[in-house]
Amino acid sequence: MALLGAPDTSSPLPDVDRRLIDAIERFRLVGRGGAGFPVATKWRAVAQRSRGNAVIVVNGAEGEPRSKKDRVLMAARPHLVLDGAFIAARVLRARRIVLYIGERHHAARDAMLRALAQRPEPERALVGVSAAPARYVAGAEAAAVHFLNEGIATPTNMPPYPFERGVGDAPTLVQNVETLAHVASLVRTGTAPSTALITIAGAVARPGVLEVDSQTTIADAVQMGGGLAGPARAVLVGGYFGTWVEASQAWSMSLDPSAMRKRGLGLGCGVIGLLPISRCPVCDTAGIMRYLAAESSAQCGPCFFGLRALADACTRVAERGSNPDDLKRLHRWAAEVRGRGACKHPDGAVLFLSSALTVFADDFAGHRAHDARQSA
Amino acid sequence: MSNSILWYTTRGAGAVTLILLSTVVVLGILSTLRVQSASWPRFLTTALHRNLALLTVVFLVLHIVTAVVDPFTNLGWAAALIPFSSYYRRLWLGLGVISFELLAAIVITSLVRGVLGHRAWRAIHWLTYAAWPVGVVHGLGTGTDTLSAWMLAITAACVAAVGIAIVLRISAGWTDPLAAARADFQSSVDRREAR
Repeated sequence: MALLGAPDTSSPLPDVDRRLIDAIERFRLVGRGGAGFPVATKWRAVAQRSRGNAVIVVNGAEGEPRSKKDRVLMAARPHLVLDGAFIAARVLRARRIVLYIGERHHAARDAMLRALAQRPEPERALVGVSAAPARYVAGAEAAAVHFLNEGIATPTNMPPYPFERGVGDAPTLVQNVETLAHVASLVRTGTAPSTALITIAGAVARPGVLEVDSQTTIADAVQMGGGLAGPARAVLVGGYFGTWVEASQAWSMSLDPSAMRKRGLGLGCGVIGLLPISRCPVCDTAGIMRYLAAESSAQCGPCFFGLRALADACTRVAERGSNPDDLKRLHRWAAEVRGRGACKHPDGAVLFLSSALTVFADDFAGHRAHDARQSA
Repeated sequence: MSNSILWYTTRGAGAVTLILLSTVVVLGILSTLRVQSASWPRFLTTALHRNLALLTVVFLVLHIVTAVVDPFTNLGWAAALIPFSSYYRRLWLGLGVISFELLAAIVITSLVRGVLGHRAWRAIHWLTYAAWPVGVVHGLGTGTDTLSAWMLAITAACVAAVGIAIVLRISAGWTDPLAAARADFQSSVDRREAR
């Protein structure tokens, strides 16, 4: 069963129980929100604690700036996403489902609400809707739980994890909308979907959302997106918490999670961004670092001060040209910030920066001054 | 002398523990005050705090073990672990046991802070403000050397140092360098009104 392109209908779901978790484990479903966490592990943790009181949070916050796949999926296949949520609710014996949809994703929310209205009353009564603030960290699991409890979408310290004490202190599953669609597809067809959704962005003729299988290479994805709009310098795999790859090495790379893991990469949130050779990688990296620093929820020093210092050093290299002091600082601070944050925001940001410092090492070392704002 | 070496070790380790523990407490308070200078970066305060704390545990264990195994005292392990169970100076030894067990809780929770979560760790770390004075009173009450001039000087210096640090801590209030930025961010993701 395809995710996009197939008709979206609702029909009664087959009976499901705890054995579904074993099937999910057998097919190795992983979360498609960005972290790639094993779905079965998460479900089992909630199932063990649920006393018929679990909460399912359907995460369609999609705060990643370049990503569109979650809102396209919600708009095109709302019933498939709802199927996944209702399956989770049955298997985990949930009392409540919350659709946590980005406040600016109007078409997605409208489609989800229309689909919900077509569902029978006993199912519909479980579901509530919530508008996720349009900030980067608002889609984080802990931020979603904090928002639904307190109305403030900032990540909190973990533990307690959502599966221990989540929405209303009940065991809570926070799962990305595409992941839930994968589960629904598994239940409907008896086998895991062979495809995943990605967003192709940057130097491509038709940027947008694509459905790819594990044989699809990045070159194939570019072809599906209408071909290159111009020569590409590098590819950002996995969005702003992802990794830069040299274009020459990227083309033949298949978008297969296990093959990518072997190369130390991940599909992350599924954004494949093509950097055209006309743009300066140093200035673009500085721009993204400034964005990520500004998206810090200012809850801990390593994130607020650390990312700001890193973004400032990047910007100095971008605006005034390369200098050994700032390069040394970037490497040292990136290593020092990692693992120190109250949440994972700084880790994602320095992972991105580290890959830029590696892939664009020569650009960072030999950068000449030009105005960063033109490029970033 | 072969017997008294244990006894001297107990006394010496007790005095060293007092000095180390007081230094650790002062460093801990200084790190919450974010004290720094060009030659004394902030990571130095926290690294010293952590390493001296572990060193304190070593001397504290030495202090307790030598006291228990010393055949002359005949204290027994129960007296070292159960507060106020000792036949000998029940009150003063009991305070020592309480101080030791509080410190053990503080050290163990610090070692597993990642698993425990920050809020619980911090609540338990506050117990330092109980463990330190109880330990000092234990030393004053039962110390063999308490009234010697050098031990009085050590105790006075430790009490003065921690006292000054606490006064600085209280007078600094609860300032948070991130407060403004945090409030700013929170207001952008705060939808309490809308709900």
